[in-house]
Amino acid sequence: MDAKPIVVCTWNESQGGLTVGAEEALTLGRGVAGATGAKLRLLVLGPLPEAAMETAGRFGADAVDWIEDAALEAFSPDAYVEALAGYCQQESPALVLFNQAADTRLVAPRLAGRVGAGVVMNGVDVSVGEGGGLQATASAYGGDTQMVYELSGAPSYVVALSANALLPEPAEGGPTEPECRVISSDLSGVQERVRVIEQARAEGPRLEDADIIVSGGRGLGGPENYKLIEQLAEALGGLAGASRPIVDEGWVDSSQQVGLTGKITRPALYLAAGISGASQHMAGCSAAKTIVAINSDPDAAIFRYARYGLVGDCLEILPELIRAARQ
Amino acid sequence: MRIVVCVKEVLDPDAVNNYALAGRLEIGEDGKSLTQTTIPRLMNGFDEQALEAALRLRDAGVECRIGAVSVGPDTATILKHAAALGADEIAALPMDDPTPDYHVAAALLAAYIRSSGDADLVLCGRQASDDDQGVVPALICEALGMPLVTNARAIELAPAADEPTLRITRVTPDGDEVVEVSCPAVVTVSNELGEPRYPTAAKKIAARRMKPEIITPEGLSLPAETLRPRVVAQRQFVPTVAGDCEFVPGESPAELAEALVARLRQDSLIQ
Repeated sequence: MDAKPIVVCTWNESQGGLTVGAEEALTLGRGVAGATGAKLRLLVLGPLPEAAMETAGRFGADAVDWIEDAALEAFSPDAYVEALAGYCQQESPALVLFNQAADTRLVAPRLAGRVGAGVVMNGVDVSVGEGGGLQATASAYGGDTQMVYELSGAPSYVVALSANALLPEPAEGGPTEPECRVISSDLSGVQERVRVIEQARAEGPRLEDADIIVSGGRGLGGPENYKLIEQLAEALGGLAGASRPIVDEGWVDSSQQVGLTGKITRPALYLAAGISGASQHMAGCSAAKTIVAINSDPDAAIFRYARYGLVGDCLEILPELIRAARQ
Repeated sequence: MRIVVCVKEVLDPDAVNNYALAGRLEIGEDGKSLTQTTIPRLMNGFDEQALEAALRLRDAGVECRIGAVSVGPDTATILKHAAALGADEIAALPMDDPTPDYHVAAALLAAYIRSSGDADLVLCGRQASDDDQGVVPALICEALGMPLVTNARAIELAPAADEPTLRITRVTPDGDEVVEVSCPAVVTVSNELGEPRYPTAAKKIAARRMKPEIITPEGLSLPAETLRPRVVAQRQFVPTVAGDCEFVPGESPAELAEALVARLRQDSLIQ
């Protein structure tokens, strides 16, 4: 008998691509599938993104399973959970992997509840443990610690991977040619119980999509100095972010907050000024390719994550940086 | 309407963070518990805000009975805190394991809600600040067949609805979204709800005399299958951070700034 499949679940996002993080989930799923002798499948809910087949092949998937249904065209938790529950009953996956976005919390743990699976969120790794069963590692205490969970006792598992869990790696030995299987579903009886009255309207570009982010923290001394962060962000062609303490203090709007309970970002450059480097904050920016830290305390935790460090008063350094960046 | 707020006792996350940043966080002999006795235990902050959301509904004139329920080894302190804040009834679901499987916790909470007269609204914090999992509300909603709304920053009763309906402003990555859902429903509350109130001295004293109702799994007549753990914490550790920070040299702020900008341009990170 074949080992039960490993499934990476994704859905279409507005730009017609796969959800951010699908490549990371495929990379991890491929490792687990290899270690357990299982097939790796990419499961797509709703419209099939153009990139799905190519991405699945590049990351070594054996199949792309596609559930097409009018009820799945736009994000709808009730329909998504119902479609996934039907899929799990039919295909009995050992593991369903999600990349963790805000919407995932409305789907992944509910799927587990619906089908009696075990669930772990904030995952950073899934591996085969000493006893041969699966184990998942997830961050806890805002990233201060990590917890290793044994996954045994349930027929299947649902794990959501943190945005910064790992780097995507295409399959060694070139792309596979996955088959595309259309999975039938009957969602005619599902009516979304949560009715959207006013849609969220993103005002301007989103921190999640930014290539360059300049963030400020308590080291700015007061709300009047946050303009330095905005000016440097503008000079570098990036966006301005903030740490939770100055959001809680009301210096800036909570939409600017980077961190575990704020925005999870993945820019090429993240410049943190006057931010100590609490794990809660780093959970929202440690996926950045390059972190630059400015802090007056040379022992600040932020320097442990940084590629470049500047020791000094950010109120003196920021104006000079704005000047240098504009030249 | 009956509102049930699920609350959890956690280690003060700020104290944990301070120990972690100082490199002095200690893991106990079981390999998974944090053992510093100097770290205060308190009600999970998001849960306190969930309770605050219930109290604000009552302040807005919604006739309601508010219950607080908690699963854990020693829940009396936070349940009395809930009573001092305004909960009308408090219930404890004792569980010895300090890191209980949250599937079991959710099964117990759902069974308690069902057996104690159901709820029109189940409120939870968006996640607990210890394990950050945030799955218990979703597992409860599935066990009770209720819809789930996450990350509420404001909850009110929708005007002029035929049946009790909630209007909820939720925090999303694209900004605030307003949704409506008919009761009963499970709603999680985010920190954007704002500061919870403080209990008055008189209410604190009154709450001291309140005893939580103790509910055992046997009393809920749950099948053993439901109480079998599925995700068991094995080990907790402090992850190491690969530090390779290059401290940029410079005597003055201007020199530091120029040296950094030069490096970032060399790395093609900025123009």
